Formats: sequence, structure tokens, C-alpha cells
Amino acid sequence: MKARRIDRVLLYGTVVLTCAMLLFPVYWLFITAISPPDTLRSFPPRLWPEIAQWQTFATVTGQRPIGLWLWNSTIAALGAVAISMAVSVFAGYSLSRFRVRGGNSLGLFILTAKMLPATLLVIPLFGIFRSVDMIGSLWSIILAHSTLIVPFTTWMLKGYFDTIPRELEQAAMVDGCSPLGALFRVILPVATPGLAATALYGFVLSWSDYAYARTFLTNAQTNWTANLGITTMKGEYITDWNEISAASILVALPIIVIYLFLERYLVGGLTAGAEK
Amino acid sequence: MARILIDNVRKSYGAVTVLHGFSLDIRDGEFVVLVGPSGCGKSTMLKILAGLEDASSGRVLIGDSDVTDLAPGDRDIAMVFQNYALYPHLTVRKNMGFGLKMRGMKAAEIDRRVVEAARILGVEHLLDRRPRALSGGQRQRVALGRAIVREPQAFLMDEPLSNLDAKLRVHMRAEIAALHQRLGVTTVYVTHDQTEAMTMADRIVIMRDGTIQQIADPDTMFRRPANLFVAGFIGSPGMNFLRAAVTADESGARVRLYGQDIALPPAAAAAAQRSDGAVILGLRPEHLRLGGEGPITFSVLPELVESLGSEKYVYFAIPPEHQLGGEAPSEEERRGDMMIARLVDAGDIAAAEKLKLSFDPRNLHVFDINTRNAVREES
Repeated sequence: MKARRIDRVLLYGTVVLTCAMLLFPVYWLFITAISPPDTLRSFPPRLWPEIAQWQTFATVTGQRPIGLWLWNSTIAALGAVAISMAVSVFAGYSLSRFRVRGGNSLGLFILTAKMLPATLLVIPLFGIFRSVDMIGSLWSIILAHSTLIVPFTTWMLKGYFDTIPRELEQAAMVDGCSPLGALFRVILPVATPGLAATALYGFVLSWSDYAYARTFLTNAQTNWTANLGITTMKGEYITDWNEISAASILVALPIIVIYLFLERYLVGGLTAGAEK
Repeated sequence: MARILIDNVRKSYGAVTVLHGFSLDIRDGEFVVLVGPSGCGKSTMLKILAGLEDASSGRVLIGDSDVTDLAPGDRDIAMVFQNYALYPHLTVRKNMGFGLKMRGMKAAEIDRRVVEAARILGVEHLLDRRPRALSGGQRQRVALGRAIVREPQAFLMDEPLSNLDAKLRVHMRAEIAALHQRLGVTTVYVTHDQTEAMTMADRIVIMRDGTIQQIADPDTMFRRPANLFVAGFIGSPGMNFLRAAVTADESGARVRLYGQDIALPPAAAAAAQRSDGAVILGLRPEHLRLGGEGPITFSVLPELVESLGSEKYVYFAIPPEHQLGGEAPSEEERRGDMMIARLVDAGDIAAAEKLKLSFDPRNLHVFDINTRNAVREES
């Protein structure tokens, strides 16, 4: 009985500690955003400002084209996800279903690509995009993000397709579908949770990118993504940390909202293989 | 409905051949069961028949047309899978109508056929549910429904009952048999369960390691097994096997079993001559009787008695001179050199208490040790 109580205390203690560690930076970001600039460096730091400056959000949206940056980030993320999903649905399905010569090596090769740091590809990609005159265009980061996302989503989808019994598409083929018809009419609808989780994962990956946007879009202000835009708010001599924090919250908000609404879907998609 | 002709079908995966020249002529409306242990090639054959796997060589004809190179959807067959393979995102109604929709049938006709099939199978009240809201038995019925709405030339069933619990399996077995009688559609049914094969089939095809061991109706399969494997596979519990030395003279071939001489068909002498003067004798557990009324009587010391209520399985040791040793067809069939007697209404029997058993030598089966084939007089 006593051991069980200790277990519970340990469990709850760990949960509270983990949540505190994860949430404190977000809380501090929020406090920074609504604190007057001159109080930010006061010591001891205040856990809640004396006067909350809610107008920082209005100021930052008025002075900076945050809406445009968010729009650009959305276009880039949606474009990258669309391309990545189109590629990885077929790639993941093929890896899951077809035994071809070198299939395993191909899968491992994709897995290796997943392990490469994004910065490693910046220079070759820059060279390619410059040669096709794509630097500064949103297409550059759409394609660059796709190179990051495809290995992840291919393996996620392969894992998801592995959990779907082959008999489903066999039944569809006996019912008159072609192999491609069986994929579109049966397998993809069944895989919706997996597709949603994978797409969301790709979206977050693209949304949170800074390195590619910084390299390919710096000279095209109208195409700046949100992450790139925020970093330009840091001045050489003066930096309004409360405004940067407010902008950061606005940029993080869409992802937080998506997570809140799709959390169950996402966890379901990620853990589907475990229930086999 | 149609005749199905499978002509010398072979299937290899690289160097591994899983089907060696499979040939079978299935009559219009016949219920044929392919049975055999895991890995014998029965499911592969069914998938080749369905078009889900390509044959390495050979032909498959359904009706009058050669379907060897046709896609599964163009073969006019319906298939029921072991795990039902119902589309989880569609309602029962849409699951059953899917194949018809794919063939471009009008919605009204699809609905009429689906409702009719649902009525036959007693799943009308489930039409608007999704598969996950159904029990195992209901899913099985829907899977059958999806097959029958198509009104195909043939049904292919791949171990459709093996995911059901024992009681429901017996019930569904009878339902499928009744459905076949009612619809009269040619059916090829795959199972590893010899009881299913015996109870449902017009003809059974027993397979092992990709080759057909015997094709026969259930009674023939039981009474006249072609070889040691079939003899051991059909029947529950399986046949008892004993090694016996054969003495041959002008009067014929004889073996001595439990101290008594038993006459064997003369062909047994020739078979024994080829195998160190011995043959394998087979005796079904149900052909052993309690008491000394049979022509051959002997006493045993039961080592284990299993009671099934109406009958008892009595296990006793095979005398050392009759043990098969390395000649047993497989370790399971060797059963640790034990014999089983299946005794109906046997009363109280206890292990380690002497028991008198008897049998009629006419029930003995004789097998050649070398070829493993049954030894019979030419008739």
C-alpha cells in the first residue's frame, strides 16, 4: 500500500516536473511579450508584470507584416506537405508491399537521408536553385523542405501501411479494383489517421525551419516566412524583446491550435503500429 | 456457376517450389476443400485461382475461359478471407455492394441484391453499421454476404472459420454448407482443419509440400487413404501406426500382432520384401473396442485416459517390436510411441488399470515402409 503511494507520488512528481520544464519557456515568452521593455532585465525577475502591456501584440502586428509572413509560411508548409505526401504515399506503400531486388537497401538509404542534418544540404540546394533561378522564390523552400520531409513521411507511412492487412487490397482487387484503385479506394481511406499524422508532422517540420528560409529567401522580403521575419526584428543596437516574444507567440499559435484539435488523431496515427 | 480446371500449375519463389504441377478438375456446383498442414501450398493455390498470385506455369480455366492471365476482378469469382478483409471505412451495406459498384451496376439493383443477401444471412439489421461494431460471427456473415451478392461463377474461401471460436465455427460450418446447397455455386475452400474438410466437402484434396496426396470424397478419404500421410491426417484422433514383420508363404502374407497371426493381402508380402520384411499397419482409434469380443484381443495398461464425456481417449504404449522409431511419418504422428483407443460409452476407465481391447483385422490398413503408399489388392 505504502509502495503504491510512493509510486503515485513519483509518477505525479515526474509529470509535474516534465510539464514545468516544457511549459516554463512558453510562459516566460508570454510574460516577456506583455512586460514593459524596461522591466525585462530587472532583478529579481517578476513572474507577472505590474502592468500587463497587451498592446504589444497590436504594435507588432501594426509595424511588421506578420500576416504576410504567416501566409508565406503557410504556403511553404502546405506546398512542401503536398509534394511530400504525393511522393511518400507511393514510396511508403511500395516499400511496405512490394518485394523488389534492392528494396531493403533502398529503404535503408532513405532512412540514412533522414539522419542527415538539414544544414548539410543547404549548399548543394543553393547551387541547384541558383542555377534554375529559384533563389528568393517560395518554390525554393517548398522543394527544400520536401527533401527534409519525404524521408520522414515515407518511413512513417511505410510503418502505417505495414499495419493494414494485405487482404484488404486483395479483397478490393477481387471486387474489381486495379492495384492502384485498391490503393485509392480502400487503403488510403483506411489510412486516413496515419496520413493526417504524417501530414501534420511534415507541416510542423516545414513551419519550424529557419536555415533554408534564411539561405534562400533573405533578399526577397515579400516572401519571408514567419521564422525568418522574426529574426529580422533583432536590431543591431536595440532589440525589443517583448515585440519579438509577441511575434513568436503569434507564429507558434497556428501550430498549437492544430495540435490541440488534432492531438488525438496525431497520437492515434503515431501509435497505430503498436496495436497490431 | 462453372467448372474450374486447374491444369499442371506450378509456383516457385526463386529456387523454392511451393506447388509442383497441381492439376484438378472441379465440377460445376461442386464443393471442393483443399486441406493440408501449414505451408503445404493450399493458400497459394487458392490465390493463383483468384489471380492474386501468378502461376509460374500451368493454366487455370473458369467456365469456358482461360483466366490464367486475367486480373482478379475479371475472373468473376468472389473470395472470403480468413480475417474477413471487410473495408473498415465502409458500412456493411457499402461493403457488400462494393464489388457491384465497381462493376458499374445501378444503385437500385445493388441495393436490392445487398438487402436480399443480408436477409439470407440474417444481417439485415446490421446494414448501416461499420465492421468494427460487429462481432466475429457477424463479420463472417457480412464477408459471405459480400461474396454472394456478386452472384459469381465460383466462391473461393481461405480458412474463413479459423478466426471464430470453436462453437461458432461449428455453427458457421453448417451455415456455409447450407448456403452452398441453396446457391449451388462452385466453391473452393481452403482449411487446415480436417474436420471442416470432412464435414463440408463433396471432394477433399489433401496436400503436402506442394503436391496433391489424394483427391477423394470424405468417406473414401477416411476408409481408403492413399498413403501414410493421408491416413494420419484424416480422422481425429489420427490413425495409430505400428511396424510389423511380414511372413509370407503359399497361403499369403501374415503378421503377428499381440501374439496373434493376422492375414494380410498378398500385396503386403511384396511390399515387405522391398523394406526389410516389414510393413506399417494402420488402425484407427475408433476401430479399437472395449472387451474381448473382437477377433483380435489383447490387454493393455492405459497410461493416460482423456474423457470427453460421451467418449474416452485411452493412451497406451505400443509394444517395442511394433514401434516405428525413425520410420514415423512425422513426430506428431509418432505420438511418442503411444496408441490411442477411442471408446464410446466406455464407463469408468482408469490409467494404470489393465484393460482388454479388441479389433477386427479387416480394419487394418497396410502401408509400404519405403513408398509410404497404401498396399491394396488390385480391384
